[in-house]
Amino acid sequence: MTTTAPLDVRFRLAMASAGIGMAIVSTDGYWIEVNPALCKLLGYQAGELVGRQLHEFSHSDDLPLTERVLDRLPGSGEDVVEVEKRYVRADGQVIEVVVNSALMRDDSGHAEYFISQFRDVTAQRQAEEAFQGLNALLEQREHSHTLELEVANQRLESFVQGVSHDLRAPLRAIDGFATQLARRTAGQLDATAQDQLQRIRAASTRMGSLIDGLLELARINRAVLRPALIDVSLLAEWSLAELQDADPQRSVDVQVEPGLEVIGDERLLKIMLGQLLTNAWRFSATRPQIWIRVEGERNGDRLHMSIRDHGIGFDMAYAEKLFSPFQRLHGCDEGAGNGIGLTIAQQVAMRHGGKLSANAEPDHGACFHVELLDLEDQK
Amino acid sequence: MVNQNKEILLVEDNPDDVELTRIAFAEAGSGYVIRVVSDGAQALDYLFARGQHAGRDVNDVPALVLLDLNLPKLNGREVLQAIRDNPTTRSLPVVVLTTSAEPMDVGSVYDLGANSYIQKPVEFERFVDVVRQIGLYWLVLNQPPNPA
Repeated sequence: MTTTAPLDVRFRLAMASAGIGMAIVSTDGYWIEVNPALCKLLGYQAGELVGRQLHEFSHSDDLPLTERVLDRLPGSGEDVVEVEKRYVRADGQVIEVVVNSALMRDDSGHAEYFISQFRDVTAQRQAEEAFQGLNALLEQREHSHTLELEVANQRLESFVQGVSHDLRAPLRAIDGFATQLARRTAGQLDATAQDQLQRIRAASTRMGSLIDGLLELARINRAVLRPALIDVSLLAEWSLAELQDADPQRSVDVQVEPGLEVIGDERLLKIMLGQLLTNAWRFSATRPQIWIRVEGERNGDRLHMSIRDHGIGFDMAYAEKLFSPFQRLHGCDEGAGNGIGLTIAQQVAMRHGGKLSANAEPDHGACFHVELLDLEDQK
Repeated sequence: MVNQNKEILLVEDNPDDVELTRIAFAEAGSGYVIRVVSDGAQALDYLFARGQHAGRDVNDVPALVLLDLNLPKLNGREVLQAIRDNPTTRSLPVVVLTTSAEPMDVGSVYDLGANSYIQKPVEFERFVDVVRQIGLYWLVLNQPPNPA
């Protein structure tokens, strides 16, 4: 490598052509030399700066900062310091500048002067400030959104309570007085009239079941989860025992794989299994025997379960409708319930971070797949 | 000592429910007289012998109060609170018999000192069954404390 000019000449050339503001500053804070980029930054000619103190161009609030650098750096072990301070441009504009100052010493170690670099960060700081403002605004909006949500939840709560109370009361009157009418007129009404009275009662019972289903769905969505290690196999056995109790004449072949466990909410999981097994049971009503298998497998923090039956199944073309409330793929005479059961089961799976899916074939049974993730709180 | 008063105070504003409850008690064969008041203020007037019930013997408390929650004027919770705040009625058995089964409702009335919370079933036959069991438990089996 060959040198074409002495070191100080090369330094001055570099300084003159630097894109960043540079200056040589005396140890008592006077501009000794300034480069064009610094002149541009401050809005002054070189002649207006050289020989004057940095103080004169600094923002009055930041003077102590300059003093500290000038006073302390020469005496300290450190020779380089970086500060951020404000300067006032010739046009009066205040700018944010990051100043990096390196103290130059002579051979005997005496402080001679500073070589300082000046980087305008005004735009950057303004962007940061705007960003912080935006963040604060977002937080504020999020907060007010949360409040709105709370109000909406409270409204939903009182709506659900209203539904619970006010929609049931008239149903009780319909069923109660229809029952009374049937009793008082026993033997006087013809078969058609008796059938019609019975239909009135059956309709009110169905409506009651719908209201119960909707309330259950609403409760599941807002229930506070109580995670614990749950033996899902036991819950399935329990649900099946309830079904058998209610239908003791049925011939059944049911098997539940023992020891299927997940960290979840027992109450909700029981409701989910109840819905799925009731479905399997109901849609096997026309079979000589009820055949149900509950199996599963743990994989890391999740439990995959399948509930299979040999019932009437369904056409997969309508599978997407399965989990929407009030959508039914079968009529009441085929064992259909209120049309909310699978929506409830799916909500429980979703509240456990999992999902519910199904496959089936008409007349060849159905298989429901449940995926449940361990709820976190107990880990 | 078993309360000798053969009266049940039914606090219920829905005339259909009043009629069905009367029928259900008749079917259950309790032998008790059902006295009906249709709002919370009337219930307290009756219990504390005030207003139109002034002059009634305030110590002649019913054997049981069947209390609905959604009531005009004073609601069921306010009535329950007043019953528990008054020494004469502090230990009076109060069964909340209502249509709602919301967990929030259930918890709050037990906090206020309800003795029991029962949801009215939609099916009449089950309702009669519930009434029969209420009668059996609160009027026959249960041993209330001696009056203060």
